[in-house]
Amino acid sequence: MSAASLGNVLGADRAARLRVWLRRAWALTVKEYIQLFRDTILVLFMAYAFTLDIYVAGVGVNWQLNNAGLAVHDSDKTWASREVAGRFRAPYFRNEGSVSTVEEGQRLLDQGRLMVVLDFPPRFGADILRGRQTSVQMQVDTANSAIGSLATSYGGEIVGRYGLERALNVPELDMDKIHGVPFIIDETRAWYNQNQEDPWFMALAEIISNMTLLSILLPAAALAREKERGTVEQLMVSPLSPVQILAPKILAMGSVILAGLAFGVFGVIIGVFHVPVRGSLPLFFAVSALYIAFTAGIGLLIATIARNMAQVGMLTVLVFAPMIFLSGAWTPPEAMPSWMRLLMDCLPMHYMLDAGFGVLLKGQGLGELWRELLGICALGAPVLGLSLWRFRRQFG
Amino acid sequence: MTRIVALAQKEWREILRDRLFFALSFVVPALLMLLFGYGLSLDVENIPVAIHDLDRTPQSRDYAYRFIHSRYFDFKGYVTDESQAAELLGRGTVRAVIVIGHGFGRELSSDRPAHVQTLLDGTFPYRTQVTKGYVEAINTAVTRELLAGYMVRVKGLSPSRAQTYVDPVRLEVRYLYNQGLKSSWGVASKLIMALLLMCPPFLTALGVVREKESGAIYNIYASNASRAEFLVGKLNPYFCIAFINAMVLWGMACFLFGAPFKGSVTAYLFATVLYVLCSTGIGLLISILVGSQVAAMIITAVVTAMPSMLYSGLLTPVASMNWAARVVAAVFPSMYYGRIIESCFLKGLGWANAWGDMLVLAGYGAALFAVGYAMFHKRGAA
Repeated sequence: MSAASLGNVLGADRAARLRVWLRRAWALTVKEYIQLFRDTILVLFMAYAFTLDIYVAGVGVNWQLNNAGLAVHDSDKTWASREVAGRFRAPYFRNEGSVSTVEEGQRLLDQGRLMVVLDFPPRFGADILRGRQTSVQMQVDTANSAIGSLATSYGGEIVGRYGLERALNVPELDMDKIHGVPFIIDETRAWYNQNQEDPWFMALAEIISNMTLLSILLPAAALAREKERGTVEQLMVSPLSPVQILAPKILAMGSVILAGLAFGVFGVIIGVFHVPVRGSLPLFFAVSALYIAFTAGIGLLIATIARNMAQVGMLTVLVFAPMIFLSGAWTPPEAMPSWMRLLMDCLPMHYMLDAGFGVLLKGQGLGELWRELLGICALGAPVLGLSLWRFRRQFG
Repeated sequence: MTRIVALAQKEWREILRDRLFFALSFVVPALLMLLFGYGLSLDVENIPVAIHDLDRTPQSRDYAYRFIHSRYFDFKGYVTDESQAAELLGRGTVRAVIVIGHGFGRELSSDRPAHVQTLLDGTFPYRTQVTKGYVEAINTAVTRELLAGYMVRVKGLSPSRAQTYVDPVRLEVRYLYNQGLKSSWGVASKLIMALLLMCPPFLTALGVVREKESGAIYNIYASNASRAEFLVGKLNPYFCIAFINAMVLWGMACFLFGAPFKGSVTAYLFATVLYVLCSTGIGLLISILVGSQVAAMIITAVVTAMPSMLYSGLLTPVASMNWAARVVAAVFPSMYYGRIIESCFLKGLGWANAWGDMLVLAGYGAALFAVGYAMFHKRGAA
């Protein structure tokens, strides 16, 4: 808006005052930028958090049964046992050959070198030929219950399919070749991520987590530092209102974080992992900007409570750890007890994750995202207001 | 020695006088243990599901009841058209929609294969895999029953004979180390490792850099305490706090979450001392390297808090990561300590199994201290 039109709308006097107000706020914003960028190590780590860290999380961490070490204790040694064992194959299982005794298998499981040991009883093949029911024992390391239950589920599927093939007397359970018997043929489709690419999920979850972490910590640290050193007293005696002192911090830190986010989204998430952007990117960044601003409010609230940086550190862990790890980025809400899901509904990051996945993967627009936007605003605005009120009361 | 005691005393006094910080340093890990112990679960159950029945025959209703009565699914109702299914999946109200095709009942009654379709919300791949497994298990069970019925009717087998015929090989699963498949056991014991990497570095991260920023470090520069004495004195109170926390977390894992501790107590204690040394050492090293408290905190958060969950084997095992993530995992002490926890808690083993990892932890701690010693100079930055 040009100065002249501003004068027309507000009247010359009020326009002049607004200009001064804005100029003062801007001067403080520039000060925050300078302070931030002089800390070279800090800037380097922020760059790391939005690029390499996202990349490693995306390529490295996966949630699927992958490469699980398997050995066979085969007391049968017929075509049947070899056939069943051979079906436990890559990429889920890594066949490490056979073990000669049960104890050896147990020892390898104890050492964590194996995850699964299959044990075929003697006469396994003979029983199948004679039409007698037989069984195969599967020992699974379930110290990690998630992966353990996936391994069990795949094992059940493999053996179940083998059983049906034997029953129908077909070499392979080819759906087109089965006639004349009742049978359920299921076709599974995973929407939004057809090939079930883990990097899409992990990279997005990680970048939103890092964004949350920085949005809390940077403003909190910036304000706490001023309190600790006493420079906040200088700001209070200057002709600046509390809003003028706090808003530049949110603006400066927020814009840097948003720039980092854009860098990560274009460089890594789209550039490297080829996440299909099904919705509108401007909408994604607009929602992120709103989220960053309100999350910064949490940071400022922490800074009004804490007296020094050490307290800021502990309070931040207290706030951001549950916020990130219980928001649905790490464990699906379906796995949580119901009271925990109530808590989850109070976490702004939960809504940000839904909105992020909604826009980027599901192609949702503003019309479908009103619930998420409402969640981010309704949870963020009171916190921001509270921090402003506390700050005003402390230094007003 | 007296100098170390004096420095440690000064540090203790500083911590004790900061009531909020002192309280938080104990409250935070315990509270997070409570929250994560209950919340960080991967036992996906009660998956919200909707059914789109195009067939509307007794057979299709029977099939639908399998999902409605399954404890793995939470039935949210029937949908009447595809756009409604798409809307429910998009909003996340349901995670799966079972579509029963036209002619489902007719095909089955005339002994022909019938088609169904499962639409899954694919955003969270782990949840999708688990859901798919549940659906497949139900389909296999239904198919078996249909086939058994068919054998009885057409081939004239007795019902029990038909049962055996359609299910010739059973899979007997033995769950080792965690018979109930309780993720809280595994998670609670591994949480000790994650939280001990998350919280103690925040305690120490500001230790040195705070004095640098306030200028109090010049007292140390000018004093006759040596660099090593300063670092040991500095670390002492934080190490004690972190170790007490470790014991509290251990107690919580065992008594609150019921994780069985079957292994050697002495081996576990020794490993914990080493691990706490490493994790507080990481914070101290960051504190020595950086110039500002803000940077120290951000780096601590990025370097320890996130990896403690992601790369430590807490949720996904290190073995199934790719090489890049495995390198990251090997750089942090948590992977080694995690293995010791696993063998001491669930596997009931002790020294014989853990000494290799203990050696790594000891070397790690020594290396941290050596680097810190080398990087900390008693002359201020030029």
